[in-house]
Amino acid sequence: MSVQAKESPFMNVAQIQAGLAAKSFSAHEVAAATLARIAAIDPSIHAFLEVTEQLAFEQAARIDAAIACGRLDECGPLAGAPMAFKDNMNQKGTHTTCSSRMLENYLSPYDATCVAKAIAAGAIPMGKLNMDEFAFGSSTETSCFGPTRNPWDLGRVPGGSSGGSAAAVAAGMVPLALGSDTGGSIRQPGSFCGVVAVKPSYGVVSRYGVVAFGSSLDQVGPFARSVEDAARALNAISGHDPLDCTSQHVTTDFTANLSEGVKGTRIGIVPAFMGAQGLESEVREKVEEAALLLEAAGAHIVEVDLPHAAAAMSAYYVLGPCEAFSNLARFDSVRYGYCDPGHKDLGTQYEASRAQGFGPEARRRIMLGSYLLSAGVYDTYYYPAQQVRTLITQDYTQAFRNVDCILTPVAPRTAFKFGEISDPTSMYLSDMFTISINIAGNGGMSLPVGSGVQTGLPVGVQLIAPQFKDENMLRVAAALEAVLGKAAVAPAFAEGDAL
Amino acid sequence: MRMLQEVLKDWEAVIGLEIHAELTTLETKMFCGCKLEFGASPNTHTCPVCLGLPGALPVPNRAAIESIVLAGLATNCDIEKRSMFYRKNYMYPDMSKNFQTTQGPIAFCMRGHLDLAVDGAAAKERIDLPEAVQDGGYTAHIGITRIHMEEDAGKMNHVGGSEGRIAGATHSMIDYNRCGTPLIELVTEPDLRTPEEARLFMQKLRQIYLALGISDCSMEEGSLRCDGNVSLRRRGEKRMGTKTELKNMNSFKNLHDGLAFEICRQAEVLEEGGIIYQETRHWDPSAKRTLVMRVKETADDYRLFPEPDLAPYDLTDEFIESVRKKLPELPDEKAGRFESSFGLSSYDARHLVENGSVAEFFDKAMALAEGGAPDALAGEGATAAGGAEPLGVAGHAPAAPGAAASLAKPLANLLINDLTAYLNAHDGLELAQTFLTPARALDLVRLTDTGAISSKQAKEVFAAVLEEDRDPAAIVAQRGMEQVSDLGAIEAAVDRVLAENHDEVALYLGGKVQLFGFFVGQCMKATAGQGNPKMINEILKKKLGQPSA
Repeated sequence: MSVQAKESPFMNVAQIQAGLAAKSFSAHEVAAATLARIAAIDPSIHAFLEVTEQLAFEQAARIDAAIACGRLDECGPLAGAPMAFKDNMNQKGTHTTCSSRMLENYLSPYDATCVAKAIAAGAIPMGKLNMDEFAFGSSTETSCFGPTRNPWDLGRVPGGSSGGSAAAVAAGMVPLALGSDTGGSIRQPGSFCGVVAVKPSYGVVSRYGVVAFGSSLDQVGPFARSVEDAARALNAISGHDPLDCTSQHVTTDFTANLSEGVKGTRIGIVPAFMGAQGLESEVREKVEEAALLLEAAGAHIVEVDLPHAAAAMSAYYVLGPCEAFSNLARFDSVRYGYCDPGHKDLGTQYEASRAQGFGPEARRRIMLGSYLLSAGVYDTYYYPAQQVRTLITQDYTQAFRNVDCILTPVAPRTAFKFGEISDPTSMYLSDMFTISINIAGNGGMSLPVGSGVQTGLPVGVQLIAPQFKDENMLRVAAALEAVLGKAAVAPAFAEGDAL
Repeated sequence: MRMLQEVLKDWEAVIGLEIHAELTTLETKMFCGCKLEFGASPNTHTCPVCLGLPGALPVPNRAAIESIVLAGLATNCDIEKRSMFYRKNYMYPDMSKNFQTTQGPIAFCMRGHLDLAVDGAAAKERIDLPEAVQDGGYTAHIGITRIHMEEDAGKMNHVGGSEGRIAGATHSMIDYNRCGTPLIELVTEPDLRTPEEARLFMQKLRQIYLALGISDCSMEEGSLRCDGNVSLRRRGEKRMGTKTELKNMNSFKNLHDGLAFEICRQAEVLEEGGIIYQETRHWDPSAKRTLVMRVKETADDYRLFPEPDLAPYDLTDEFIESVRKKLPELPDEKAGRFESSFGLSSYDARHLVENGSVAEFFDKAMALAEGGAPDALAGEGATAAGGAEPLGVAGHAPAAPGAAASLAKPLANLLINDLTAYLNAHDGLELAQTFLTPARALDLVRLTDTGAISSKQAKEVFAAVLEEDRDPAAIVAQRGMEQVSDLGAIEAAVDRVLAENHDEVALYLGGKVQLFGFFVGQCMKATAGQGNPKMINEILKKKLGQPSA
């Protein structure tokens, strides 16, 4: 393996493709270097649940064959870029466990659309990534296979639920990963691990084949170490899918306006968020710094009001569990999944299999949803929650009449230690700044802006876009990145040789 | 237990129906691209969506939406422009997702009705109505609450128990081929009062669905299923009694008999001071009784909520109008046209349209009678799927009264009486499976009308046509059945008979008029049974002259 190939895990997509074009290394060598890197590093991080060596080499062989014919440019925008997928995404021939005992042995018979599109765009599939069980959590601690560790501090969580995706990119194992976000599950781990993490507007990316948590809230998005790589990945996976009737006809080139800068753009700040209880000062300072940098680059900073955003958390913990209760009903031990054998009747088999197959947080949300939808309770919770949803959506519509993008914190604090937050409702507060965006269906992303002064851990700022104007936030992010530099591989894993 | 007629004197039955129809004429399932096919090998028409695999999502079948809008328009429903799919959550292995996708408070079709013409024996069950009404018939206005769209479950096969029932079974096998089949469920208001009305409603709805071409409506194969809700109250009372839900009424007869039994059973329980439990009961046609399936102590909580994977479904005015244009001529309209164009009685017209293929056959025969080419109608199945102009609207001006119209009544009789009797006698035979064609039916009716054959002979010829694949004229000729209608030949025969029977002629002229029949008989004998009786009568009368008073 060439020296350059060994460096490929640290490269961005354009650098890899330049190396392939110059024949400095082959796609096979990129795949091999990535596999070696994962083998060397992942035991200390535990981002991967499954490494798909054979699938990686098969895809690399296809790309190398195209390069041999001089057709690298026909391989797609992600050609040769290693990518890994959150383990709630079906990929044929892999296990799709959702980090749950319930699906420990479940083999996917089909590809999720986002996975199929990424592979069609030339990405080399490296494996499946750890997550909170069924995406219920903000720390990846609810994974039944054990937590993922934050590459910046192995004693801390990577965030969640897409903790494996964020950690794999932050540790320099892969340049790209996909995650899913229902209330903050892409952005919060992006902030904790210091990588670019994008949750597009609801409908930009097909949900087909992604195991559903909250169908009206879930959205797939990319993790990367640069805004450009994230935008490239989003180009590859976005667009209408005939198999998901909530997906939209999006044809935007998200890389097109990255270099345009922010001169003249109007960026909103939400005073209520900046003064929110529980927001650590080191995080607030970073958001304020980002605002100053943007202003210096020519943007206008404008205060905007989201009067109903405070109710987002309450609405979310009604709507999310209701949809999850119904979505998870199919895991009943009959056709697939964990089955506790030996029961004489269906009812007790259901009860025992689901009691043992699901972890405590999954059981909590299922029971909560079951209660909230039951007769007599529905009108008290579900219906008002939908009304709140309408109000929050109107808030964002109103706010975006005056601004092109909104700047807020991602999470109230930096990565916490394992076991530090054990109370579920405290854990839920991790998503206090991100949830309203899922409720409204807007796009939101986390951009790393350096380390907090107290903890020295990565801090991300959240950029929020109008619905289906996701290019707005990517452009602002690129302008900040141009000043602050691209996201770094976590220091402990960035020194010296990539292996 | 008392008889239904007796029970209904004291009690009023309140009946509502829930009728499921599988949209069997569609190519694919409700929310995925799997093929719809009855009787395929188990689990061969399945995919991640209908198997409820993790991550799969539904996509609604637009053709199914068109079918339900057709059904709604044909049953006088309001079409809701904005309706939603809902999830009905319950766990059972035949429903792979453990929720059924159905509709919420607003269905695609709301607030419809059908009017039933109830007469003959069917009207006799309404003993609360005046006798004159019972004899003359009445119209029952039956409200339709809604028609909503939903998906069918898979099929469970319980093994090891008796008769495939779950009781005593050692294990169960599941076939998901049916899972996700588009279903439309029609719910009536509790407006039905007798088992006959329920049966007529079901028959009428079946005729409509068949005319629309949206389902094969096979009660035997379960593509048309009916549950009945029935309760009793004392005559004159307004309060509703406790209802039971009746299942397994998989034929019109079972629907009638099951409801009739249940009404009598409830009356007996109530009359003995018992109480009716809200429960689901199973009609056992062989034992002729209903049995408890399960008791509903509380209403099931299905935790219905809007299906987040499917956006609210908006129907545009253009879409609704485009569907309305596809509406075929419906049975009631067809019957009306048969009355006005061909002078049929309402009874004949109504019975003629009961069977769509018979009505179409009649139309073709009448087109021939009017000198039109039956080909113009051929292949027009008169279903929405064909998209043809409704019969009788385009190109069919009301028939000129006269020759053609005079054939309508005998043609209708032939189809309603003789044909129906023949088909009934040959268990499930279809008109299309016989050798009867519109042209042959018309020929047969003409042969009788012109007196070429007697009505008795016509029956023989009809039976032969059905089975021998030959034209009526050929059968008549082969069997030497043609009536002698040659005036000269008949006159000669009459002269001969009168000459040979002087005494009888004298007696007749002397006032013994009963002898007329004797002369007719002799004349028939003289023409070897083939003389035209009508002509013989006339000529005899003329030649004999007036008997003295």
